[in-house]
Parts: sequence; structure tokens; C-alpha cells
Amino acid sequence: MGLLAAGIGAGIVAVGAGIGIGMIGKAATESIARQPEAAGDIRGAMILTAAFIEGVALFGAIICIILALG
Amino acid sequence: MTKYFTFLSLLIVVLFLGQPTVLAADADTESESPIDIMGTVADHDYFTFFGTKLYLPRLFLWQDDNGSTQFSTFGSTKKALASGEFEQVDYVMTPVNGSMLIDFSLTSHLLYFWFGLGALALFTMYAGSRYKKGIGTSTAPKGVLQNLFEIFYEFIRDEVAKPNIEGDKYKKYVPYLFTMFMSIAFMNSFGLLPWAATATADITVTAVLALFTFFVTQFSGTKDHWQHVFWFPGVPLGVKFLMIPVELIGLLTKPFALAIRLFANMMSGKIMIIAILGLIFIFNDMYGSVAAYSVSILSVAMTSILYVLKLFVALLQAYIFTLLSAVFIGMAAEEHEHDHEHDDHIHAEPSV
Repeated sequence: MGLLAAGIGAGIVAVGAGIGIGMIGKAATESIARQPEAAGDIRGAMILTAAFIEGVALFGAIICIILALG
Repeated sequence: MTKYFTFLSLLIVVLFLGQPTVLAADADTESESPIDIMGTVADHDYFTFFGTKLYLPRLFLWQDDNGSTQFSTFGSTKKALASGEFEQVDYVMTPVNGSMLIDFSLTSHLLYFWFGLGALALFTMYAGSRYKKGIGTSTAPKGVLQNLFEIFYEFIRDEVAKPNIEGDKYKKYVPYLFTMFMSIAFMNSFGLLPWAATATADITVTAVLALFTFFVTQFSGTKDHWQHVFWFPGVPLGVKFLMIPVELIGLLTKPFALAIRLFANMMSGKIMIIAILGLIFIFNDMYGSVAAYSVSILSVAMTSILYVLKLFVALLQAYIFTLLSAVFIGMAAEEHEHDHEHDDHIHAEPSV
């Protein structure tokens, strides 16, 4: 049961993080296309925001690992 | 400030030495699956060097049944077990008569942490000696290593510290951020060597690194930082009390997220490579050697691509750790203007 929960949980976590990071990527590429001279700043903000989303996703992933191992 | 740093370094040393040493099974013990995934990422009591296992000494601070504290050293785990004073339960050493206080044993992850710091020290000392000679200050920097040093140092100073820490305060934090970046980058890169261990794929290592950032952040916090924690401005009185636990939790989640992020990224890279290479052995068990040979073509190609990705991730995670450290320090060191009320105080504060 724990394994099932971990598997489903990891899937949902991946979906959430994928949507989030995908939206950041979309917004960043659009902004860079609109304003290429600001590409450096946008890239920095993109990596920072992606790191925050990844952090939340990794919390979920850790809980899944604990479920799967425990 | 020096007082704080002495305290900090002492604390870090104690934390590092005092980590509960949970060691993975020795490779000699046979496991069910053809490939042992967790065994390759876990901490070990030996250090692999070109295929030979060098067993590391075990140091125990323990208390015997009479209540006296004792310190024992052994050449290796086997010698400690052979002495009869200690026994191994779930890979944790416990004294037969008494209780363990602190397990000071050296482990592979601890060694690779020291290697990372040593590589950083050599790198900076080399660059420093060149600057003392005048190369780089009066003339242009010469040589690959010095140019590399300048690239990294200026990157940390101009791209990480300056935009995130306001005013002239950033100068104080550049050495800390540079140390953090380079040591994590070295530790991550050591993990790319097939026989080496990734120190940052251990939660205790990343937790200590994140604690560093936590203490530096709190010690550099201004009055405004603490006001935001204990007496949030611009909200009704009841909400002020409600905000105290929220803000206190917010202080702790930042280093926690830092530690988890680095740990999970480094560990998942390792597990992914082992899992993809493990497909060969799984196919060999299930469908015979022909299937295993055909899968190996795909597996090896994917592993090569993953290695390039891992090299990128190793530097990227070091950068993200440093960048977030700079953001947190900048947020704490920020001084707000007090001539206006805090009503329109919209403060985009990332909580994780």
C-alpha cells in the first residue's frame, strides 16, 4: 500500500512540477523573444523561480521515498 | 563577527563529526537483486581507490555500564567487531556493555567532503599566491587555473552577490558565497568519478551546508528582519500574533529546502544512472543474454548523455544553492525605509 501511495504521489508531484516549470519556461522564452536585451536578467529569474518550484516538488519526492522505504 | 565565525566553525565541526553513522551493507554480503541501488549511494566505512577498498578507522566515544566515558579507536569495522567490545545492529555500531555517545568514525562521504574543501583550499591558495606575486593585479591573469578562478569569482560577485544583497553590504558576503559555490561544485564533481562518492548525496552533508547559510542569514539580520518575524508591520493586532509562528516556520523551511534540494538532485542523478545501467542486468535475468546485449546499446548511450547532464547539474545546483543563500541573506540584511507606513508594504518573499 505504501508503495502504491509512493508511486501515485511521485506521479502527481511530477505533474505539478512539470506544469509549473513549463509555465516558467513559456513565459521566459516569450519575454526573451519580446525583449532580447533583457535575456540575462530573465534567465536568472527563471532559474530562481524554477528552483523554488523544484524545492516544493522535492518535498513531495522525499515523502514518497520515505513511504516507499518505510 | 570573528566571535560568531569561531562559534560557527566549532559547531560545524561537532555536527560533522557527530553524524550518526549509518553505513550500508558491505558489497560482499549478497543481496537479492542483481544490482544494489541504495548500496552505491549510501555512506560506507571504506574508501574505494582504483578498485581497492581502504577501510577507514572507527572512532567511538561511548559510556560503559559503570558510567565512565571511554574513547576507543579501531583500524576498521572488522577490527572493532573482532575486539568483542562492539556489535553491529542494522549497520550501526553499538557497544556490548554500555551506550554510544558519539560515533566519530570516518566515512567515505566525510572524506569526500574534506577532499572538496581541500581542492577549494589548493585552488584559492594557488590563485592567492599568484596575486601576491603581482600576476593578475599589475598584469593580466595568466594560466588556465587563474583565469578559471577569476571567472568563478567575478561570476559570484557580479551575478550572485551584487544583485541580491543591497548596497555595499554584498562585499562582506562574497567570500562566503564563493566558498560555498566552489566547495559544492568540487564535491558534486567528485561524484562524477565512477569510483568516488558524492558527499552532497548525503542529507547530513547538505543539512550542515544549509545550517551555515541559516546562521549567516540570522547573524546578518537587521532590526527590520526581526521585526518582520516577531511583529509583522502593517497588519491588525490579532494577525501580528498569528504571523509569529508562520514567520518562525518560514525561517526554518528555507535552509530545509536548500538541504533537500541539493541532496535530492545529487542523489537522483546517481540513482538514475544506476537504474538505467541496471536495466541490462534485469533484462539478462528475465529474457536472457540476447535481450541484455540489445538493451545495453540503449543503456550505455543514455548513460553517456546523463553524465553530461550530471556535469551540468553539478554546477547548476552549486549555483542555485549559492544564489538562494544570497537571496536569503539579502532579504535578512535589507533595511526598509521607515518614513512611510507599512500599509502598502507588498513584500514578495519566497517562503521555500
